Amino acid sequence: MNTRMQRALKLSLNSAVGMVAALSMIPLVYLFVRASDKPMGEIVQLLVRQKTLDVLTTTILMVVCVVAITLFFGVAIASGLHFVHLPLRRLLIIPTVLPLAIPSYVFTYTWIALVPSFSGFAAAVFILSLTTLPYIILVTLAGLRSVDGSQIEVARSLGLNYRQTFFRVVFPQIRGHASAGALLAGLYAMSDFGAVSLLNVETLTVSIQNMYRASYDRSAAAVISFVLIAFAVLFVIAEESIKTKSPDGQIVKTFSTKHALIRKRPLQVTVMFAVITFGVVAVVIPFYVLLTRFFSNPVGIDWRSLLTATISTITVAAIGAIIALVLSAPLGVLLSGKVTSFGRIAERTIVVGAALPGVVVGLALVSIGSKLGALYQTTLLLAFAYALLFLAKSVASMTSSLARVPNGVKEVAATFGMNQWSVVRKVIAPIAAPGIGLGTILVFLTAMKELPATLMLRPTGFETLATQIWSSTSINRFNEAAPFALILVLVAAIPSFYISRPDKADRAFI
Amino acid sequence: MTSLEISHLRVSFNKKVILDDLSLSVAEGQIAALLGPSGCGKTTLLRSIAGLIAPSDGTIRFGKQLVSLSSLVLPSHKRKIGYVPQEGALFPHLNVADNIAFGLDRAVFTKDQIRQITKEMLSLIGMEGFDNRAPNQLSGGQQTRVALARALAIKPAIVLFDEPFSALDAQLRTDLRADVIDLLRAHNTTAILVTHDREEALVSADTVALMREGKIIQQGSPEQVYSSPISPAIAISTGDALVLRAFKLSDGTTSYILNTQKSLAQSVETGHIVIRPEEIKIHRNLSSNSINGRIAKIDYYGHDAMIGINVEHEYLQVRIPGPFDFSIGEQVALEHIGPLRFFADGKTAI
Repeated sequence: MNTRMQRALKLSLNSAVGMVAALSMIPLVYLFVRASDKPMGEIVQLLVRQKTLDVLTTTILMVVCVVAITLFFGVAIASGLHFVHLPLRRLLIIPTVLPLAIPSYVFTYTWIALVPSFSGFAAAVFILSLTTLPYIILVTLAGLRSVDGSQIEVARSLGLNYRQTFFRVVFPQIRGHASAGALLAGLYAMSDFGAVSLLNVETLTVSIQNMYRASYDRSAAAVISFVLIAFAVLFVIAEESIKTKSPDGQIVKTFSTKHALIRKRPLQVTVMFAVITFGVVAVVIPFYVLLTRFFSNPVGIDWRSLLTATISTITVAAIGAIIALVLSAPLGVLLSGKVTSFGRIAERTIVVGAALPGVVVGLALVSIGSKLGALYQTTLLLAFAYALLFLAKSVASMTSSLARVPNGVKEVAATFGMNQWSVVRKVIAPIAAPGIGLGTILVFLTAMKELPATLMLRPTGFETLATQIWSSTSINRFNEAAPFALILVLVAAIPSFYISRPDKADRAFI
Repeated sequence: MTSLEISHLRVSFNKKVILDDLSLSVAEGQIAALLGPSGCGKTTLLRSIAGLIAPSDGTIRFGKQLVSLSSLVLPSHKRKIGYVPQEGALFPHLNVADNIAFGLDRAVFTKDQIRQITKEMLSLIGMEGFDNRAPNQLSGGQQTRVALARALAIKPAIVLFDEPFSALDAQLRTDLRADVIDLLRAHNTTAILVTHDREEALVSADTVALMREGKIIQQGSPEQVYSSPISPAIAISTGDALVLRAFKLSDGTTSYILNTQKSLAQSVETGHIVIRPEEIKIHRNLSSNSINGRIAKIDYYGHDAMIGINVEHEYLQVRIPGPFDFSIGEQVALEHIGPLRFFADGKTAI
């Protein structure tokens, strides 16, 4: 291949990446334009009025509580599972990961169905902690697995007991992972709409949705959105800085010696108790409620709308996943090679774009869509919203899968006289395809559960499993919601089982 | 420093016996090598000494102190053990100085004392000025040195090495090993070295313990285990060895390929003899009495060479010092000059 062709290829790759980055910025730019419609005085007034401050306080307080609770229990449970000798230790991780399959609004619905008075701030913290705990457990476990077992043995031989060993050797090395998990949980809690809305807690997301629905005052909603966006950006920046500070990148080549598991009875009992309690509260109870509601439905199941909703959900989520796949390809290719500063900036842009809450992306796209005429109220616009929301997941799996192709392999292939295209087809694709495919499936399954953007962007009369659950639940028709929720949870449980396998707990895919 | 006394140690894991009625004794200040193939239980033995796993039976003593009695064990952190695992296992989040000072209890030592000990250790391993380096900025050999300094800093009763040199390349390995052994001897340190490298075991240790399937089958000085193996298999595990068919005759002599004088004596016992390749001399004085063979192969190592010779139906390997002027295809006479190690069939395992 001559250099001119290479340069042309590089240029087209860079422009493709630029376009994707621009696309991911659409919601942000649009909201900015929309917010600046309002005169400055009015914006300030909107921001400092008591209502806004109350909502802001509630949101911050809730996020702080969720992060503190999940961080403590997440690190404790993950460490217990990793270090303590337990019966059926490998299976015990499943109940701690399975809740990933249950969207927060389904969680909330099962608890309200069980305890009708279940409502308010504490309830929201409870639900969101249950929903996000698996993220921290998984990320922390991945960190713990990277700590060489012989370091622990050395620390023990140097006179440290288990507690001292944990705080002086293990914790400093997993701090980066734990904080990344905490930020993930915080971002999730901040963006959540379903649970807080059902539990009558007014957070920023609920405020935006209310403003949009009640008054159609999209400028005011855009202004409040910016508060939310500011938080999302803060989270992303914080995560970036922790990532670079964590010692992950400088791990000395290690044999992952297996450490001896701790066999102290009180510790074993405590860990078992914590895991079982979490399993009961976050898996057994929700499934019990869903199943009893499913079978005790006196009206009978509306098979027709169940089938329609399932097909609609699968279709629109699949289109969204494919768009995300296509959009992430150029950046993945760019990042898997030598990382340029352009590539890095593009990656950050896309990560920030993808950290925007569903409510914000929904609001932006619904406003733009209404001007686009043909696209407005189509499933394509909704699919595009999914693609934007979950682009970061897609990019992460694309990059890590492509990075798995060793450079030497490409060079060896080239010495066989293969051209660039044959190398891609015969060498790179077969190695990277499984990872990319898995990433796409995860985007698809996450999109199936998405609620707030779906509520705003769906065409009139278009029902997905999520919207069906939502509309039945918000008027306390729990029996009617049960079949939809069961299907959604069962389908979403498949990847949860997959990532609970120790070798697959890859942070990139969460 | 202290002696180590292990008697009748038994370790089993999930009903599988890993160490079986094992006894070992190492005198104060001695370096003992545990030599054996992978899976023979040498790492398990090391971890039992360190208190990282609990035996089901037997005792371990450090000097007069009983640290392990049946399943009652003194926990690892109370044993004052220096432990140097494979590749060193330095703490990646701490710099070199903090790694070395890791085991120094801040309740016992003042800050200045800790700094002083760290400095001494750094000069001991020849790495002054490396205080603030991160482990990933060190070479493999330097990491092993720091791991050793970290272990020695707490003035351990016994230092345990788990194949610490196995990941290093040959030259570095030899040099570092010599340095470490000198250091241990200078401090009169009792040490246990686990290895699967027979040369490493022989060159480093005062006493070599040969392990097979959870048992120590021979223990002795390097010279003892090399020159007086208790079985042909042990002979092979401590160095190159020829195992040849042999017959004990009624007149007390032994008949084998390098000693076939016509004797009227009857064969009374069949078995094998073990000859080291360097115990055969070759020369060009061919005669009708000499055992002759033809050179089929020469592996040249510089300081010496391994010569493959076809004698009748056997293929014998002979080690001769360099320089030499033999060539392939040449006829030579062979002469056995070493001790006669006869192992009767059925009495020893091959």
